[in-house]
Amino acid sequence: MTWISNSITGLGLIFLTHAGYSAHEHSALYSTSAATLTSISSHGGTTPTVASLPLDISIETIVAIFMICLGLVLGTPELRPIQWRVWAGKIEREGEDGFIGGDGEVDKYYVGNPFRVLESRPGFVDIRKQRSEFAAWVREGGQPAPASKS
Amino acid sequence: MSSSLLHPPAHLPPSVALKLSQGAPALLRTTPSSISSYSLSSLFRAAETPELWTVYENLMLSCLRTGDEQSAHLCLERLTNRFGADNERLMALRGLFQEAIAEDDAALQIVLKEYETILNNDPSNMPVSKRRIALLKTLTKIPEAITALNQFLESSPTDAEAWAELADLYVVQGMYQQGIFALEEVLLITPNAWNMHARLGEVLYMAAISNDFEANKYLSESLRRFCRSIELCDDYLRGYYGLKLTSSKLLSSSSQSSKQSKSDTAPLPTSTVERLNELATAKLSEIVRRSAGGEKGWTGYDQAEVIAAQALLDQDKVSITR
Repeated sequence: MTWISNSITGLGLIFLTHAGYSAHEHSALYSTSAATLTSISSHGGTTPTVASLPLDISIETIVAIFMICLGLVLGTPELRPIQWRVWAGKIEREGEDGFIGGDGEVDKYYVGNPFRVLESRPGFVDIRKQRSEFAAWVREGGQPAPASKS
Repeated sequence: MSSSLLHPPAHLPPSVALKLSQGAPALLRTTPSSISSYSLSSLFRAAETPELWTVYENLMLSCLRTGDEQSAHLCLERLTNRFGADNERLMALRGLFQEAIAEDDAALQIVLKEYETILNNDPSNMPVSKRRIALLKTLTKIPEAITALNQFLESSPTDAEAWAELADLYVVQGMYQQGIFALEEVLLITPNAWNMHARLGEVLYMAAISNDFEANKYLSESLRRFCRSIELCDDYLRGYYGLKLTSSKLLSSSSQSSKQSKSDTAPLPTSTVERLNELATAKLSEIVRRSAGGEKGWTGYDQAEVIAAQALLDQDKVSITR
């Protein structure tokens, strides 16, 4: 999906540049032609009216800005749930898989259930029990986790 | 750098802990051995990040767990070089290291003495008082640990972790009343913790099983707690499991006693309990089906929990057909 939004934004930027360039060229051309006109009819006494930009340049500018907006909106990452129960349910249901960012890695600020520390309690960790449990696990022939699961 | 190194590793399965500690020597080699905060050379080195020190601390815990004491000691040394030996958290970490490498109970007693000397000099040292309580628990002196923890909570009553630890110690001792009280204190501090609501529900359920006298009161309270945990967290397997367990128990026991009292903790009407039971069954079977099928977005559940839920559902089916 990102290539769609990127290409829309890019196209919009091209159109915007083109519109700006056109406007610049138009004004340059008009002022020189107006200058020659006034020099020819210098005694005419009529002041040149400043011509407004042609309609197509205005339309191109507006369309380009809308395209850029659309591209940027389409390119935003998926919004996080703002309801507590939906957010909590996502953590429980999907685990780490639900918080993988655009680069394929788990989001750096993903902490899982933030209240899990109330049950694992790192301040009161019983390291000897953990060691003996780990030793028992090794004796049962435990294998390290595969590389993808970390 | 994997995300799991940025969080305390106590809950990780042994396989992940082994993998982390196997990666420890490589990680320790790639990170600079000392980072001095104010010197010319720090301009040319990689910037010091706060994550690095968290990583060292968690890596040390993982290494101690898997028995890789060399890497653990290296982590501890680097932390000491950076923060100084009189840092409160480092005192606790050093104590933890000594606990882990202690040969027997006599060595543990020495560590305990050290903690007490530190606490005599500075009674406000929170990490070391927590370690002392944990060591008392290791030495199976649960009553002493409870007393120490109560004193600790006198001075810092908003420490949810300590309240949760106290609740666990009480439950281990079979003192459910006090455990329930401590868990309610945890919920006063963190009212949105859905796992603690479920935990309170579980303790209430255990109290109901062991106590015939007020079993129904405890059961309906437990049911309410599980409902709250589900309200706070969609598709919470543990919550639905407890809801199913308590509602089935209530349904089977309510047929014997049907006296009702009008109060806040009154037993729920049977029809409500039945509907809750049906809801829990439906939700549990949905979770089990989707998780077993490996559907996208349903893979976060603990496999053991899913199997337990399956067993509960099977047991229910058997009792219906019988």
